[in-house]
Amino acid sequence: MYYGKNVTFEIIESIGILTLSDPPENYLPLPEFIPLPLLQDWLNNETLKGLIIRGEGRNFSAGGDLGKIFTLAGQPAGLEDVMVKGHELLRYIELMDIPVIAAINRVCFGGGLEIALACHFRVASENALLAFPEVNLNLMPGMGGTYRLPAIAGTFQSARMILGGDIVSAARAREIGLVDHIAPKDKAWEYSLELMLKMTRERPVKVIRHVMTAIRNSILLGREEAAAGEVRLFCELAADESARRKTEENNTVLTTNPASNIGND
Amino acid sequence: MTENVLEIFNGKSAGAKPQAGGVAASHGYQTLRWHTENRVGWLRIGQPPSNQMTIQFFREFSDWVDSVSDDAGLKAIIIHGNGRHFSSGADLSELLANLSNESMLENYRCFQKLEKMNVPVISAIGGVCLGSAFELALFSHFRICSDDAVIGLPETSFNLMPGIGGIGRMVTLAGKARALELILRGMTLPATEAGNLNMVDAVVPKRELKDIALTLAISLPEPFHVEFRQVYIEKYLRRKKQVQD
Repeated sequence: MYYGKNVTFEIIESIGILTLSDPPENYLPLPEFIPLPLLQDWLNNETLKGLIIRGEGRNFSAGGDLGKIFTLAGQPAGLEDVMVKGHELLRYIELMDIPVIAAINRVCFGGGLEIALACHFRVASENALLAFPEVNLNLMPGMGGTYRLPAIAGTFQSARMILGGDIVSAARAREIGLVDHIAPKDKAWEYSLELMLKMTRERPVKVIRHVMTAIRNSILLGREEAAAGEVRLFCELAADESARRKTEENNTVLTTNPASNIGND
Repeated sequence: MTENVLEIFNGKSAGAKPQAGGVAASHGYQTLRWHTENRVGWLRIGQPPSNQMTIQFFREFSDWVDSVSDDAGLKAIIIHGNGRHFSSGADLSELLANLSNESMLENYRCFQKLEKMNVPVISAIGGVCLGSAFELALFSHFRICSDDAVIGLPETSFNLMPGIGGIGRMVTLAGKARALELILRGMTLPATEAGNLNMVDAVVPKRELKDIALTLAISLPEPFHVEFRQVYIEKYLRRKKQVQD
């Protein structure tokens, strides 16, 4: 187990578990809720096959520490600087070459929802509640929610959530595409781990990372460039698999040959 | 099955059947049969039972796509399998033994050329449609499945990944999270589930598959604009889909 400020990290069955841990609300001290270099250090492990982000205790996260935001807003450049760092952190998570699941129990508001939106999957317990309440304080989501939410839920539903500040249930979030899987009451974490293991347990790390890279390319690059990248990634895996099959064949030949030679002589 | 095999090797007699409205057929392919009837082109792929996509298939497919891409007389193309199945996908052992970036890029190129055609390309999918075969279907403009169809990109179960554009197109159709889960788990899906995930446009009774594909081919307006795909699906396939539901 590794400890940061209000966040912990551990590895279970090759899956990294990042826990927001300032219960019960798991407020985020800063937009950059964990220093990016520290996260990179924790994830610098070639055997990792996935990452799950969860909250300690009952809730995922109630979002940013607004008191701090308003204090920083008084200092020129201070707020912008921490916001940019927050963006960089979420961008890093979004572009990771292992699948990332947000395991959402109960409250997932504001900055918490920003983190969840940067993940590749959102698993919500049936009693989860999601919202961008910033508008109630005359603010707006500031860490990418304004473009990540429309990308999955469309402009209309996003405008409703962001301008209305409404709290959305897990079932409703599933309907608009914001949530990918619904878990039983308070079981988002268990469900997420199971889903992650289903996706990764039997897959070599390289296959997982190559598929993730291809998906990233398909979103970031033009079709031609993505195609060339995909072909290269595919051929690397195929070369590995080809070599593995040859070794297997040779081993079979080695173990069966002596007997057959004797027979033939 | 014997009949089908004979038909392939004896393509001329199969294609040259006199038909009202005029039939044009091109020959010399072993893994494809191509004929046009009333300006609708029918491409039958593979050799039964599984219609595996061999190196020869890709060579012939590339040749075929180049030969039809400028055919101004065509109204639509329907791609279907030979016999019960669409295709089980690439022949893995052959593929692994003859792998090169160039050949994979060439496969990609001919799929893209199909996608960029000015006439609508409809995949009529019965039975199994997996791996590269589903990638081919994903490059078509419309996917109609019979209710017995099974689709998917199971490549990761063989320590591989989809290699001909299937990943990007599945993300576009089903969303990043669904596509990722299906691909990483190497899942195959029955037609109705694939329909619910927006990966196929209609699921129809097996015996009506070709008729419905033909009806769509004939109904689509000329010139064809792929941007209005959703509109055409609503207009020409929605009713069939509801019957199925």
